[in-house]
Amino acid sequence: MKRWTYGLLILVMALVLAACGTGESVDIGAESTVAGDDTATTSGGADTTTAGDTTEAGTDTTGATETTEGDTPATTAPGGGGGELIAAQGSEPDRFDPHLTSAYASFQVLENVYDTLVQPGADLSMQPALAEEWEVSEDQLTWTFTLREGVTFHNGRDLIANDVVYSYERIMDEETAAANAYRFASVESVTAPDDRTVAVTLNRPTPNLLVNIGGFKGMAIIPREIVEDGSIDNQPVGTGPFRFVSRSPDQGIVLEANPDYWGDGPNLDGIRFVQMPDANAKLTALRTGEVHWIDTVPPQELETLSSEEGITVEQVAGSDYHYFALNQNREPFGNVDVRRAIAMAIDRDDITEAAQFGAATANQTAIPASNETWYHEYAPFEPSNLEEAESLLDAAGVSDLTMEMMVTSEFPETVTQAQVIASQLSQIGITVEISDVDFATWLARQGDADFDAFMLSWVGNIDPDDFYYAQHHSEGGFNFQGYSNPEVDQLLDDARVETDEAARKTLYDRAAEMIVDEASYIFLYNPNNTGAWSSDVSGYNVRGDNAVRFVETSLGG
Amino acid sequence: MIAFIVRRTLQMLLALFGVSIVVFALIQMVDGDPIRIALGTRFDPELYQRLLERSGLDRPLLEQYFTWLGSAVTGDLGVSFRTGQPVTEMVLERLPATIQLALVALLIALIVAIPAGIISAVRSGRPVDYGVTALSQVGVSMPDFWAGVMYILVFSLTLSWLPSAGYVGLFDDPVAWVKHILLPALTVGLISGSIITRFVRSSVVEAANQDYVRTAKAKGLGEWGIIRDHVLPNAWISIVTVVGLQLGFLLGGVVVVETVFAWPGLGRLALTAVESRDFTVLQGAVLYIAAMFLVVNLVVDIVYARLDPRVRIG
Repeated sequence: MKRWTYGLLILVMALVLAACGTGESVDIGAESTVAGDDTATTSGGADTTTAGDTTEAGTDTTGATETTEGDTPATTAPGGGGGELIAAQGSEPDRFDPHLTSAYASFQVLENVYDTLVQPGADLSMQPALAEEWEVSEDQLTWTFTLREGVTFHNGRDLIANDVVYSYERIMDEETAAANAYRFASVESVTAPDDRTVAVTLNRPTPNLLVNIGGFKGMAIIPREIVEDGSIDNQPVGTGPFRFVSRSPDQGIVLEANPDYWGDGPNLDGIRFVQMPDANAKLTALRTGEVHWIDTVPPQELETLSSEEGITVEQVAGSDYHYFALNQNREPFGNVDVRRAIAMAIDRDDITEAAQFGAATANQTAIPASNETWYHEYAPFEPSNLEEAESLLDAAGVSDLTMEMMVTSEFPETVTQAQVIASQLSQIGITVEISDVDFATWLARQGDADFDAFMLSWVGNIDPDDFYYAQHHSEGGFNFQGYSNPEVDQLLDDARVETDEAARKTLYDRAAEMIVDEASYIFLYNPNNTGAWSSDVSGYNVRGDNAVRFVETSLGG
Repeated sequence: MIAFIVRRTLQMLLALFGVSIVVFALIQMVDGDPIRIALGTRFDPELYQRLLERSGLDRPLLEQYFTWLGSAVTGDLGVSFRTGQPVTEMVLERLPATIQLALVALLIALIVAIPAGIISAVRSGRPVDYGVTALSQVGVSMPDFWAGVMYILVFSLTLSWLPSAGYVGLFDDPVAWVKHILLPALTVGLISGSIITRFVRSSVVEAANQDYVRTAKAKGLGEWGIIRDHVLPNAWISIVTVVGLQLGFLLGGVVVVETVFAWPGLGRLALTAVESRDFTVLQGAVLYIAAMFLVVNLVVDIVYARLDPRVRIG
């Protein structure tokens, strides 16, 4: 075998790779990498940044000098000269179009890049953001927002009222197919009388409009040019405290400080989000100082981690809630007594302890106590009330019931909960068969109403409409369990348009009581939101809505 | 030789075509689709339908497959349902990390396996042999996630010598590169090494029992001389085969180790693709992995001919 045969070999390998290539976007570096393969190889992207070796918090050489093809102006001295924060996130963001993504990992990044007209403060009440002030017309059908002056997008262009109109119309447009279009269900039109004024016209009073347009960054204000040139998913441009720089599998997601940010901050030079799908790897990286911040802490690790030096752990009552639901279109679960019997036989404290190691608060309704405006204290079921549960089952003529409980390892706590519930229900003669399926299957079966019971959680809501309407109204889009009570429908419809807050709360309280009494869902608990970071990090707090905001964060504190 | 390579390349393309059909068929058999997963619990039938139509997933399967195949032959593997990024780009971005890990791991494996296997064979039945065999048994049985976590515990957490996760480019900072690649490469390398050790041992033992070795002994040649000149040349073929298989396997990405060490390789890409039913990405990744296997096989065949003049190709 002669030299030329090696050459040929290399050629063949290159050809195979080239066959997978699309031409222009192919990174030549990566190909030659393979071709020259008998010595240890090169890194493909020739343009990478500083080694970005994370360790000591002091190594804050600007990862900001690297730019991508675009026009990112990295010259201006950013905010407080506070270094680059390395943040480890547990899952991989999908896309960066805020109107189209539904991945929490994407929003961890986008929270720092985009703004909404209003935004939830630490107590989750709606505060001014891009809109400085607003007023509501007498008939409650027109809301007029005044935009803050001097706000610019990261591409340098001034924010004007038309950008708000464009963003909202894009979300509402059926063509966009945005999952959040429903938040504009009551919006008739959005107009811009002048560059700093936005008028939102409604077809019915909408007391929770502010939550709808500002509750999270899925309602972000975007510049139309990044939609038109198609860069929105790869190079998002917002008005937020950090500018998007780049994303690559080896460097993670790089953001840099926006010196023209309209609010206070940012203090950091930049943020680098790295993806660590393995929870232990994430914890270790925090312990060894390779990352400064990690998103969630597995509940069983909270205690150990809090006692470690150099690490701050925080947990805050969250607004997610865990529940399970019974298929009311399947017998015997259509019988309210059977559902109530099941709701009575369980012990929420045991479930909470087993699944969350106590880092949660048992709750028989959906809205957590930390939601001061809308919390309604209501707990009709005593824990493990086996006698009454059994007599209800007897009355319903149900014995030797075997039911399937559908859970998914994607959310491992649901598996644990199902095991606890199975043992609790066995005490009243119900056999629970746990089906642990993957999430895609879970969703498909839920959508097809192919289940006896399923268990999951809903994430971070603020307004009671988000907690109850879609899940329990008989026309609700997420009412997979088939609950239908005209009285509850009426209450939920009325509460939607009731502008007096106290009256509105009364309506929701009554609806919630009926939903709980009739066990449309069997609510379990509200988990705590958790996070942990190195003691070098200051100015960060875990939030009730689990939004990840680094605008006030500093390093080396 | 050239005719051989051309023929094998054509066979390879045929095999890849077969692989693409199998992957496509398999993914249709599992529940769920990328749209449903992206919507998550916020499922809305109308929205779902609209997104389905837009993505082309509502069309007949055969049509979907041939549309994909049509662009695949021109080099366009489509875009990810999950991220909207071109699949080729996603695969190529992760290639360097995967290849580096595979080669370093294989290097570690060979450094361990070749000497250990030979010594164990030569001293077959003696304490050294038992020692090597026992150790390689441990190596083969040790789950990679557990080994990885143990190395992290010792070298990152306790000794603070090496970082526990992440990736740095070779040319950005060679020292940091070595530090970052060492633990993941050790994790897979020692496992591969254990497998290879056993093959080296058995093929050397087999070659050593041949008549020509007895003849060589009878001629009075030294023990190591016999190993070098008569045993090894005949043992190489089966060793190369298993090394090739190991390399092909490593180049396919090592899902668990990539997850434990947050290594940005192909295994994780494929895993995410499976979880999100992102079948264009899965197709791309699997095609690449299959191509790698086939190329390595081809190389192995060519190496055979070089190692053993009795093997003729062409």
